Amino acid sequence: MPDPTRTRESVAESNESTTPDAARCRPDDVRPDRRTFLAGAVSFLGLLSVSSCSWQEFVQNHFKRMTEKEIQETVERLKAEYKQKYGKDFVVGTEAPIDGTLFGYALDIQRCIGCRRCVYACVDENNQTRNPQMQYIRVLRFKDGNMDLEESTIYYDPEEVPEAGYYYMPVQCQHCVNAPCTKVCPVQATWTEPDGIVVVDYNWCIGCRYCMAACPYMGRWFNFADPVIPAEQVNTNTHYLGNRPRMRNVVEKCTFCIQRVRQGQYPKCVEACPVGARKFGNLLDPDSEISRIIKTKRVFRLKEDLNTQPKFYYFFS
Amino acid sequence: MKGIIASIKPVLLVAASAIIVACLAPGSIPAQVTLPEEPKSEDTTTRESGQEFPVPIAPLPKTITPCRACHGPEKDFPVNFTRREDLLIHRNIRLAHGGVRVWCLDCHHPENRNVLLPLSDGKPIEFSQSYLLCGKCHGTKYRDWRNGIHGKRSGSWSGEKQYYLCVTCHDPHQPKFKPLEQMPPPAKPWTPREIQVKH
Amino acid sequence: MARSGFIVSAIRRLFTGPPLYYVWMLVLTILAGIGIAAYTVQLEKGLIITGMTSYVSWGFYIGNFTFLVGVAAAAVLLIIPAYLYDFGPIRDIVIVGEALAVSALAMCMMFVTADLGRPDRIWHLLPGLGILNLPKSLLGWDIVVLNGYMFLNLFIPGYILWKAYNNQEVNMRFIWPFILLSIPWAVSIHTVTAFIYNGLAARPFWNASILAPRFLASAFCSGPALVIVLYQIVRHYTKFHVKDEALFKIAEMISIAMAVNLFLLLAEFYKELYSNTHHLSPLLYLYAGLHGKGVLIPWIWTALIFNIIAFLIFLIPSTRKNFVTLNIGCVLIIIGIWIEKGMGLIIPGFIPAPLGEVWEYVPTTLELLVAMGIWAIGLLILTTILKIIIPIETGEFTSAKNAETAGLGHHHVPA
Repeated sequence: MPDPTRTRESVAESNESTTPDAARCRPDDVRPDRRTFLAGAVSFLGLLSVSSCSWQEFVQNHFKRMTEKEIQETVERLKAEYKQKYGKDFVVGTEAPIDGTLFGYALDIQRCIGCRRCVYACVDENNQTRNPQMQYIRVLRFKDGNMDLEESTIYYDPEEVPEAGYYYMPVQCQHCVNAPCTKVCPVQATWTEPDGIVVVDYNWCIGCRYCMAACPYMGRWFNFADPVIPAEQVNTNTHYLGNRPRMRNVVEKCTFCIQRVRQGQYPKCVEACPVGARKFGNLLDPDSEISRIIKTKRVFRLKEDLNTQPKFYYFFS
Repeated sequence: MKGIIASIKPVLLVAASAIIVACLAPGSIPAQVTLPEEPKSEDTTTRESGQEFPVPIAPLPKTITPCRACHGPEKDFPVNFTRREDLLIHRNIRLAHGGVRVWCLDCHHPENRNVLLPLSDGKPIEFSQSYLLCGKCHGTKYRDWRNGIHGKRSGSWSGEKQYYLCVTCHDPHQPKFKPLEQMPPPAKPWTPREIQVKH
Repeated sequence: MARSGFIVSAIRRLFTGPPLYYVWMLVLTILAGIGIAAYTVQLEKGLIITGMTSYVSWGFYIGNFTFLVGVAAAAVLLIIPAYLYDFGPIRDIVIVGEALAVSALAMCMMFVTADLGRPDRIWHLLPGLGILNLPKSLLGWDIVVLNGYMFLNLFIPGYILWKAYNNQEVNMRFIWPFILLSIPWAVSIHTVTAFIYNGLAARPFWNASILAPRFLASAFCSGPALVIVLYQIVRHYTKFHVKDEALFKIAEMISIAMAVNLFLLLAEFYKELYSNTHHLSPLLYLYAGLHGKGVLIPWIWTALIFNIIAFLIFLIPSTRKNFVTLNIGCVLIIIGIWIEKGMGLIIPGFIPAPLGEVWEYVPTTLELLVAMGIWAIGLLILTTILKIIIPIETGEFTSAKNAETAGLGHHHVPA
């Protein structure tokens, strides 16, 4: 766990020292002239240094506008980049949505014990940066008797869970049907796929963070620095729109483990939950667990009054 | 004409009174009442006993199986139906399941300890299908488990799933869950000042 | 010939002036350089050098942007009362207002770019080459209206001044539609910016109908106050003449705008305090603190006190017509609105976070340096524009006079 007393700059500096020493395209000897107005000229070089190494990445088109060939070339380029950075062979899938699927999620808050195994399984599966720490899933702890968000906490730290007098409710991206985040993006870098997953094209995002202001559920997170993933923990089974390693200053979020669900598997959080509180399936299939839950259990969604129509349901069993 | 009506009159009277009696007397003629439809349960007793779910092997302790080795024809311990605390070789089992409502022989077959008590169809329940027995008292949970709503499920949302026996998670002798050690809380976001959260 | 003469003499004009002018430009250049250097650090290390987190994801840059959009809008909107009250030739008011608008707009664009995580991907915003998400995204609309406004504010004065420079008559029938268009356009830039925040249901502090009217009211306070200060400086250092009455009239207008602003603030207070829902929390955080956190409290109360004092100064005729108090009032109101509409608007929108957490934001030193650099560049642009256009306005800087001073003896050729 990172030391909270570290300054932001020291975090950024230590990122440079802990990231695997991969050949970056920016020249190491370019140091901006900080003394005078001439720094203006050098800032242009700085602009190039923060941009991609390669010309191809700079001119890369939006995922939805790329031809098959372009997608393949992009995937090859990314695989080469990741191999260079992490020393492993990656799979960068581009599987299309499965016909006739609309994914839904249900979470049994009668069962959740607040153990946070889902949180860390998600971090491992989705290649989230360890430093600065990022977690898509936040487990809220409420006192028995209310669901007051302002009185809740995610920082509970007892010896064991569950604690008496409290209950737990994990929150992540709700994959809203009426998503406010996809509405506001100025470049359409985030959109809802036909199978209901709200995705981000990390190479298209300009980092304006308007979507983060729009999200009512803290579903979206920003890479303020270069993501740090230890090479031995990186997950090489990725999807272009999902858990492939991201770059700095772009937005990312839960994608219902798009790399898994489009191949028929459960998301990692569903697998990790030791008490089976997490349920996932196809809303369009009347025999799926999620459909049965909606039919037989009393479900609710967060902030229903905002009319976001989340596909993430909560219930009690 | 008058004569015919006069002779029919008593017949008509009898018929009329018969109809009136029939209408008023309950149950004599079935009334046109629609009973609420019984919710069609997916299972019948015959299906239940044979129901298969892809579950792992029952987690029986290897040291004392098969049970018939001791509770079998050779040794033939007499069956003692008195509830007691000291279970001799099974001393390590502390029963805390349902208080006075449940005791060992409420689940374990007194004559054949290799199986569990049967359902009403008479067929003893194998340990590999112990969920059928749990479902006797915990019917709602059993129905939820069958539908995938209760309990852990892994595998594929669209195809083959791995179910788990009730006893995989719930110790049948002490079913109450022990608390787990939780994983660490998130790091607090960087702030320029060391302002601590109140909660 | 006229054009090259223009550029040469314009540059010469930029480098001549009283000693104070040199000091001013030098200081601004140094500050700009420091700001650019700080920005290169941001480019190198990423936005981690700022104080922003995923909880408060917009901060000082966007706060300044919001304030400056109001200034840009109001500078041009002064045309309306100028026309109504008929103080001075409208052209003069237009010109100085548009100079302020151009520099404020340039600063807006710089602040937004500084706030972007990936400025190298800015081409993604170009319709066609990239994707501009219209009509749904308000940021998309903001880009359209800001650029359109920049064009109008460069084209209109550019046309008028070019004609003046060449001693030609302005074709009012040609330029008047543009001038008229710039008035609703000025309203639109500020309304669109207000709608960026207004449309977010996730942020109840902003998701109130009162936001767009408050934006306009506070814009009409800060913009004209800057214009008053600007007019006095221009009047002092050049032959440009502005009647005192004009300035007092603008000040009177500010008092009305501030009255509206204060009333709307009162309305906000009532609504949140009386209904006492969770939506009270951001306002409470700002003015009284929440869960022991309240780093903005001294700032917002200062802003409120400044605003009230300035309001009284502009309201009372004797203080309004006294240049000492008038200028104090202008400075107070500029600072007050800058706080109220900058950090005082943006930060409470994010507190508490959507899941209830309270995390504060304070800009880091590098962030402050970048912002300072952008302000310096904006003031450089403003000074440059004024240094060139005022002499054109007063008739000192014309192509004919250029030709004379250059000793070339060329006759002026109509453009």
